[in-house]
Amino acid sequence: MTGTPLLKVRDLSVGLETGGGIRPIISGIGFDLAPREILGIIGASGAGKTVLSRALVNWIDPPLKVTSGSVIYKSQNILDLPAQKLRTLRREIAYVGANPAGALDPTLPVGQQIVEKLRAIAPEVPHDEARKRVIDLLGAVRIPSPQMRYHEYPSQFSGGMMQRALIVDALVSNPAFLVADNVTQPLDVTVAAQVLRLMRELTTRFDTAIVFISSSLPLVSDAADQILVLAEGRVVERQVTKALVATPQHPYTRELISQIPKIWTSEAVAIDPPAQSREPIISILDATRSYRVRKRGTFASYSTVRAVRNVTFDVFPGENFGIVGESGCGKSTLMRLLSRLERPDSGHVLCDGQDIARLSGKGLLKFRRDFQLVLQDPFNSLPPRTAIGAIIEEPLKTHGIARGEQLRDRVLSVMHEVGLPGALYDELPLGLSAGQRQRVNVARAMVLEPKVLIMDETLSSLDQTEQFKLLKLFEQLQVQHGLTYVYISHDLAMVRRVCNRVAVMYLGEVVEIADNSRLFFDPGHPYTKALLSAVPTLEERRYKPEDCLLEGEPPSPIDLPPGCSFTSRCPNAFGRCHQQSPVLTARGGKDLAACFLVENTLTHAAA
Amino acid sequence: MFVLSFLVRRLAQGALIVFLVTLLIFTLLRVVPGDPVRLMAGGMAPEALIEQIAKDMGLRDPILVQFGRYMGGVVRGDLGQSFVRPASGASTGGSSFGDSTRGERAEVLTLIGETLPMTLQLGGLAILFALVFSFLVGIPGGLAPGRWPDRVAFYISSIFISLPNFWLGIVLAMLLSVQLGWLPAIGYGGFAYTILPAIVLAVELAPVLIRTLTGSVAGVMMEPFIAVGNVRGLSRSRIIVAHALRNASVPLLNLIGIQISGLLGGVLVVEFIFDYPGLGLLTITAVLQRDFPLIQGIAIVTSAIFVFINIAVDLIATMIDPRLEY
Repeated sequence: MTGTPLLKVRDLSVGLETGGGIRPIISGIGFDLAPREILGIIGASGAGKTVLSRALVNWIDPPLKVTSGSVIYKSQNILDLPAQKLRTLRREIAYVGANPAGALDPTLPVGQQIVEKLRAIAPEVPHDEARKRVIDLLGAVRIPSPQMRYHEYPSQFSGGMMQRALIVDALVSNPAFLVADNVTQPLDVTVAAQVLRLMRELTTRFDTAIVFISSSLPLVSDAADQILVLAEGRVVERQVTKALVATPQHPYTRELISQIPKIWTSEAVAIDPPAQSREPIISILDATRSYRVRKRGTFASYSTVRAVRNVTFDVFPGENFGIVGESGCGKSTLMRLLSRLERPDSGHVLCDGQDIARLSGKGLLKFRRDFQLVLQDPFNSLPPRTAIGAIIEEPLKTHGIARGEQLRDRVLSVMHEVGLPGALYDELPLGLSAGQRQRVNVARAMVLEPKVLIMDETLSSLDQTEQFKLLKLFEQLQVQHGLTYVYISHDLAMVRRVCNRVAVMYLGEVVEIADNSRLFFDPGHPYTKALLSAVPTLEERRYKPEDCLLEGEPPSPIDLPPGCSFTSRCPNAFGRCHQQSPVLTARGGKDLAACFLVENTLTHAAA
Repeated sequence: MFVLSFLVRRLAQGALIVFLVTLLIFTLLRVVPGDPVRLMAGGMAPEALIEQIAKDMGLRDPILVQFGRYMGGVVRGDLGQSFVRPASGASTGGSSFGDSTRGERAEVLTLIGETLPMTLQLGGLAILFALVFSFLVGIPGGLAPGRWPDRVAFYISSIFISLPNFWLGIVLAMLLSVQLGWLPAIGYGGFAYTILPAIVLAVELAPVLIRTLTGSVAGVMMEPFIAVGNVRGLSRSRIIVAHALRNASVPLLNLIGIQISGLLGGVLVVEFIFDYPGLGLLTITAVLQRDFPLIQGIAIVTSAIFVFINIAVDLIATMIDPRLEY
């Protein structure tokens, strides 16, 4: 890097003031940021990334405290500037955070708030011009119909849209540098890939330097020129991106890279399908579930959200079945159908050959015992004022399986099995880590000795290391108890590691079902390709985002377009796709995909 | 379009509520002991005459028939006539049976029409006082949670909530009008007569408003968009005025909608104490005299006011925060 650096960070330390003194969060951080450079910062959760990103924009509130060091911009230390002076500097220093949903006042239109900000930091811009600039920029970040969107409220924006709007908010004053803290974290992979692409484009257009902070190395390496590795509040390594990935110096970086799951490299474990058994344990037949929501601004009309549409598949005993898709694709509704929290409007869910919609009383209790659910959020899924032993005991009492001394023994043995120390029996879940909490959740399900565990995003709140350990545990439990797992997830890398068969959902439909390796190496549906092209990975991509990923977001499940629901984002869409909706079609073996192109290749092959 | 459908839906719901309230009051009045004819005709009137009058007035018909007849009048805007009050003004009753003035009893609608504006003036002023005071105390409290303004707000609301309104009314009347002579207290002879009862009512309303306001301002100040607002370059005063107060006002509005019912209760006591010629005083005398048509009329009007105010509150809340849907 040549020329004078834009931003100089020297010996920056931030601590947390506690009763007994100051506990350091980050210490001795120093780096330079060159104009137009994209600097990536990575580190595991708790490494101090967010605190660092906030320190760069002088957003350290008590109990956090800057204990030493300086952030020098234009030969001023912005940590020392009085509030008034700093405010005029805000036009040159911009920040985008990880929580797009909460970043703007929910009661005012988005456009109006961006104008408000621009006029607050640049009062000389007349209102009309500010407005015009905002609308132009909303268009530039590819928000469709920016004129209308300008007047809409934050709640009417999807996460991806909102993140774009916030990028507009940050760039509207033409800042010299932008701090982007985990901006893609709440977004789906395909949307995250679009946002990332957009940010790279904008830096060249606006001459903005970016500090890009994330916990995902693949993501950062996609965006950044150089990468800074943060471990326990200290910079342990700084290298040009390619070099860092190829020749990591510090052991911590090496460990970080080794934990990134492989998708296409040969190291990826092949999952053997279980010995094929005749009877499926779960069988969904043409299940559909819709919800009615009242239309705003009408007297009594309702619109129908079609959350799950004509889903059909079988899960066989001993399988690891994956269901993947992005937010809003109907995964969670499907989970609710599978666990009979809800019944389908039409179609059937058969478990062990029984239609679970008809179960009641004893039969239902038996079903619940065999089909257990493990939820996503480790914090809200455990009652905070109940001891861990009591939490795990409860299912045993509900099902009348054990009582008295037996209870304790059963619970302790399950706790041992999932790797929880018995000493936790009388503890409250208060001090447990996310990983331990998920173990309690698993124990609570396992104590009933179920046949099937439905894992609804069970691992998505855990970091790589914890995920790894829990997956090992799941494997072990499967071997010992002959469990069947249904993984509902948005994390393709995780699915690649554990599932033998995968169903891909888009807008309530299953668009593809295939064996693991077929899905990853020869996907039959363009949406699967788009998903694969957007997975953050350090490997050479089999599918280029440029070829597979179109701009835009899924249409609303309320106004489904006619024809194939993926048409609006499909690079291969042709005439027929706009009129007819393809059905799942066999493409050799047991693999299915719902795309007209599959039929074509088959007929060609036959001809 | 949204406003229109909202109003149509809510007004229809409101009409139903008013109807049910009327039915309930109507039935209860006729079920509880106490014969209005006996009160009207006086203790000395012969039993046969009372039966005769009651029959003539339709009071011996089945309740539903009476109700149907009454509602028929109500939809035409006729709330009936008072049993006891003559059109001339003074209320009668008791011994003077055969009084010629009885022939011209007062229209319920007129009675309410005379007193309602007085009560609305009182209630409106009370809410104004309560709001101004709660803003002055509650907002600083919400901006400094745990520090002295917050504690001041807490102490003030604790003290206010433990003052009984009848006691406070008497004490303030003693202090401000008898001792200091600043404000008139008894009866009504101009706007100044409203101030003292309004203060008493405001003290009753304020504590809950203060608590809600401190709570919601403190809550909104914790929202991410407030902290981010600072980083985006908005000034603190702008963040508070344009965003924090805007968001904090929604729970306050909803609370005011509910507090109106409490206010109606407070009005009864306060108007009685200050002999303020409003709806509350009218209600008390009507109840004491078993004046069925007047009680029903007041019940319809007050429940309609309550319904209307809540519709207005919800409409304003939806305009402030478009995510709300009522």
